[in-house]
This record gives sequence, C-alpha cells and structure tokens, in this order.
Amino acid sequence: MDNVLKNPGMKKSLGKSLLYTLPMFLITFMFMTGGRPDFSNPSSSLAILIAFMLVNVLYFLMHYTGKTDKYRVVLFIIFALTLSFTLIKNMVAVRNSMSFSQADILECKIPFCHLVIPMMILPAAFSKSIIFPGSILNGFANISSMVVLWSVATLVLGRGFCSWGCFYGGWDDGFSRMRKKPLVKNINEIWKWMPFAVLLMVALTAALSLVPTYCAWICPFKAVTEFEQVTSVESATKAGIFFSLFAGLVVVLPVMTKKRTQCSYLCPLGAVNSISNKITPFTIKIDKNACNECYKCVEVCPMFALSKENIKDGKVSIFCSKCGKCVDACSKNAIHYGIKGIPAGTMKNFSRNLFLFVSFLFMAIFSAGSIISTLQSLIKLIL
Amino acid sequence: MTDALILGLSSGSACLATCGMVMFPYLMSGSSGVRRITIDLSVFLITRLIAYFILATLAWYFGQAFFSDPLIRNIVPGILYIVFAVMLVWYSIDKSRNPVCPAKIAKTVNNRRLVPVFLGIVNSFGFCPALFIILTKSATQGTIVQSYLAFLAFFIGSSLWFLPLPLAGKIRKREAIMTIGLLATGLAGIIFMIKGLTNLIGGIING
Repeated sequence: MDNVLKNPGMKKSLGKSLLYTLPMFLITFMFMTGGRPDFSNPSSSLAILIAFMLVNVLYFLMHYTGKTDKYRVVLFIIFALTLSFTLIKNMVAVRNSMSFSQADILECKIPFCHLVIPMMILPAAFSKSIIFPGSILNGFANISSMVVLWSVATLVLGRGFCSWGCFYGGWDDGFSRMRKKPLVKNINEIWKWMPFAVLLMVALTAALSLVPTYCAWICPFKAVTEFEQVTSVESATKAGIFFSLFAGLVVVLPVMTKKRTQCSYLCPLGAVNSISNKITPFTIKIDKNACNECYKCVEVCPMFALSKENIKDGKVSIFCSKCGKCVDACSKNAIHYGIKGIPAGTMKNFSRNLFLFVSFLFMAIFSAGSIISTLQSLIKLIL
Repeated sequence: MTDALILGLSSGSACLATCGMVMFPYLMSGSSGVRRITIDLSVFLITRLIAYFILATLAWYFGQAFFSDPLIRNIVPGILYIVFAVMLVWYSIDKSRNPVCPAKIAKTVNNRRLVPVFLGIVNSFGFCPALFIILTKSATQGTIVQSYLAFLAFFIGSSLWFLPLPLAGKIRKREAIMTIGLLATGLAGIIFMIKGLTNLIGGIING
C-alpha cells in the first residue's frame, strides 16, 4: 500500500521520458549553438556542452522521477548565481568596479532588470519617458528585450515567473533550503500583503519623483549586482539598506523560516505577477476527493500561497508561484498542475507536461547565456 | 511636496481604516441619492482643507519662532521626524490597534447638515503620527506658501481614499485593501525615518 502512496502518477518510463525530453533537446540545442555548432573555440564548446547537458538532464529527470521542484531549483539557483557572476564580471571589465558613477547614469549605461517594470508604467503613461538610465535597444540587458520577455512570461506563467524566470529568486530559494526544519513557524498572515504595499509606494514615489525608487533605495539584489558609488551620506545610506535587506530578507529569514521571504514580503514585481495569476492559463489545482488533509503542502509552500482554508476551498491563492514544491510533497497526488477550465483531478499528466515544457524551456533559454558565460570563465581559469 | 503627497496617500488608508466605517454611516444616513452624497462628501472635504490651512499657518508661525537657530532647525525636525515615523510604523503593525475614531462624537450633533462640517473638523484635528510629521514639515518650510503647499499635497493624497466611500459596501477584498493601506503607511513611516536620520546626520555634520 505504501508504494501506492508515493506519488505514482507523474513518473514515466525511461523511453517515454526520453521522448518527452526530445523537443527540449532540439530547441535548446538550436538556441545554444545558433543551429551551427562551432568547435573552433574549445572552452566555449565545452561550456555550451555542459550547459546543454545540464538543462536536458534536469528536464529528463523531471519526467523520469515525477518530481518537479527538486530539479527546477537546481537550475534556478545556478541561474541566480551565474547571472550575478556574469553581471559582476561585466561591470568589473567595463568599469573596474561593481559600483556605477553619475557619468554611467547620464550615459544610460545601467543594465535593466525586470524589477523596474512596475515603476516605469505610470511615468511612461504620463510623461512619455522611461525613468531608467539604461539603453532601450542596445547592449547587455537592454530595456525593450527585458520588458518583452517579462510580459510574455508573465502572461503565460503568471506568478510562475517568480519560480521559473526570475534571475534573483534562486538566491532566497536556495537559502530557504539550508535547514531541514524552520526555526520560526508562526508568521502573521498580514505580511504576505506587503509586496502590494511596496508596489503602491514605489509606483507612487517613482511617478512623483521620476526616479525608480525601488532600485535607488530598496532592492536587496543591488548587493550582488551593482550599486551607486558611495560618495555621500545618502549613497552610504542606500548601500547600507541594500546590504541589510540582502542579509535579512535573502539570507537570514529564508534560512530561519524556510520561506522565500524577499519574494513573499518585499518584491513589488511579485505583487504584479500575483495579479497576473488571474489571467494565466496555468494553475495549481487541488483535487478535494483525493486530498487526505495532511497539510504537508501548506507546510512546504515557500510563498505563503497555501493555507488550510485554501485546501478546504480547493483553491490556491494568488500568491502561488507554481514552483511545484507542494506537488512533490503530496503523497496522494491530490495537488497538481492544472489548466483553467479543466476540472481538478483530471488531465494531470497532460497539464504538467504542458506547463513543464513551457516554463522549463523559458528558464533554460533565459539562463543559458549566463550559465555558458560563467562556465567559460571557470574553464579559462582552470585551463 | 512629493513626500507630503506620498504621506497623504499612504496614511489616508489608515485614516479610512479607523474612521471610514464610522463616518460612512453618518455621511450616508438619510441621503437622497448621489447628489446628497456628493454634497456631503464635498462639504466634509472642504472643511478638512480649511482646517489644514489653519494648521499650516499655525505650524509655520510656530516653526519660525522655534526653529530660527540654524542648528535647531536642522536637528530638532530630524529628531521629530524619527519619533513620529516610529509612531507611524508602530501604528501600522500594532495588532492591538484600537480603531477609535474621533468622528464617533458626531452623535452629539443634532443638525444633519452640520454633520459633514463637524466630521471634517474632528478628522483634521484628530492628531495622528502622519499629521505630526506633516506639521513638522510645515514648520520647517522657508515660506508660508510652501507650508500651505505641503498641507495641500497631504490633503490631496489622503482625500483620494475618501472618494470611494459611497461605494464602500460594494468593494470586494476590502480587508486586503485596508491591510495593504496600513502596511503602506508603515513604509511611509520608514521613508520619513530615513529622511529624519539624513536631516539629523546632515545637521550634525554641517554644525
């Protein structure tokens, strides 16, 4: 009987898993090599090969073992680490430092990141200007490509972007897995609304001051990417805030609570993505007939998206990032990936396969550049 | 002006959270349609605006008297900002917050037409941490016009929250909206805390 309880539904045979991996294999091959593999540069070829193998082996294992989050998080953490590495490497190569100067701002040389998007909307609507000192079309991390990528991903994945596309999420996701059991368990429910309050404040302050206030004052990930040169009390205060928030919300609290506290309590883009969960076709469904109300899913959810009430109602909240942790934890296969309009408990495999293909492909393609670049640097260092 | 507007926008929600549900029945009781509601709400807001201009005038004059010394002008407002900002943050997260609104004493007013005026007055003078912050800001302005502008921005920001009052019963997720508003108030408190610290450090460095 125990064997039956171990989430049997999502596992596939070796042949079937390979067949499901084939499209991913071909698309990632085309994307990473540009369709024309060039073996003239050994370090580059080796880096591409390792990255290619990594994403495809992880995708294969998702199908073969039936586990989602276990393998998603590997690529997600690697994505976060390599992105920071690549970004810092580029900064140091171009500027000799992680900090940027006023001249860099005036010349619009600041790489754009998706967290700025909620602050850009109101000023863009009223003043027809973009309040970020980055390049619109050219260069590394330009504004237009990031906006298009985020818009498409959010429309398709909803808040799934936070677990499958965000290049920062891997930081607190990684730290939230450091302990086996949380030190802090009872957290007041009201804090999960904080990202909406932050969104309200940063959207207003950005619209009124025409400065991306979240980036200028709050973003914890400035600590692992780039920040303003410390030349005054104000810039020193900003640097202090960046590093304190990174230490508190990305490192200490995730370790203590086993939750993604930065994503759940601060990120304004997370709030926007939560709203987009309402329109995305993919969702997490709860099959109330199969559920034995063990609440393991509630316990493991890193985003405060599940409560006992949600399970009783048979509906996950808008905060769900579709990471798959609850799906992996459910021994009854009662909580599963689903498509809106299809009743819970039906077409589980089809919904999961479709969601995994779309979301994993997005993460694989989005992360490939930084993974390959980091691997190249490491190979050069070793050789 | 920007920070006053932001303070108004964020603290307006807290104001509504405590007073809105008390004021709503009074503003709406015995109303005869949208026209009556609009008139009552307009009278309430105009009274608030007048009361704020009175407060702006008083704050500026007291500010001129007390903050004439440049050292005091830099340091005291910095300390006041920090104290009131801490109060504002505490207010937003305090679980045992007592939702008592001064507007409750409107029961004592018999004249139906005077109720919005009375509510406007008690709402404006119902001293809360956000109002203390704006009084401090107003007291440290260079000219009285700047002081009026600070209060005007605060008024505009906080008044926006009162506009949907007639529709309050129909708003879904009201509790979530109130929670977000209260948390935003706390964030505004943090902004002013940083502003106070910057003022204080700047004041000490510049002597």
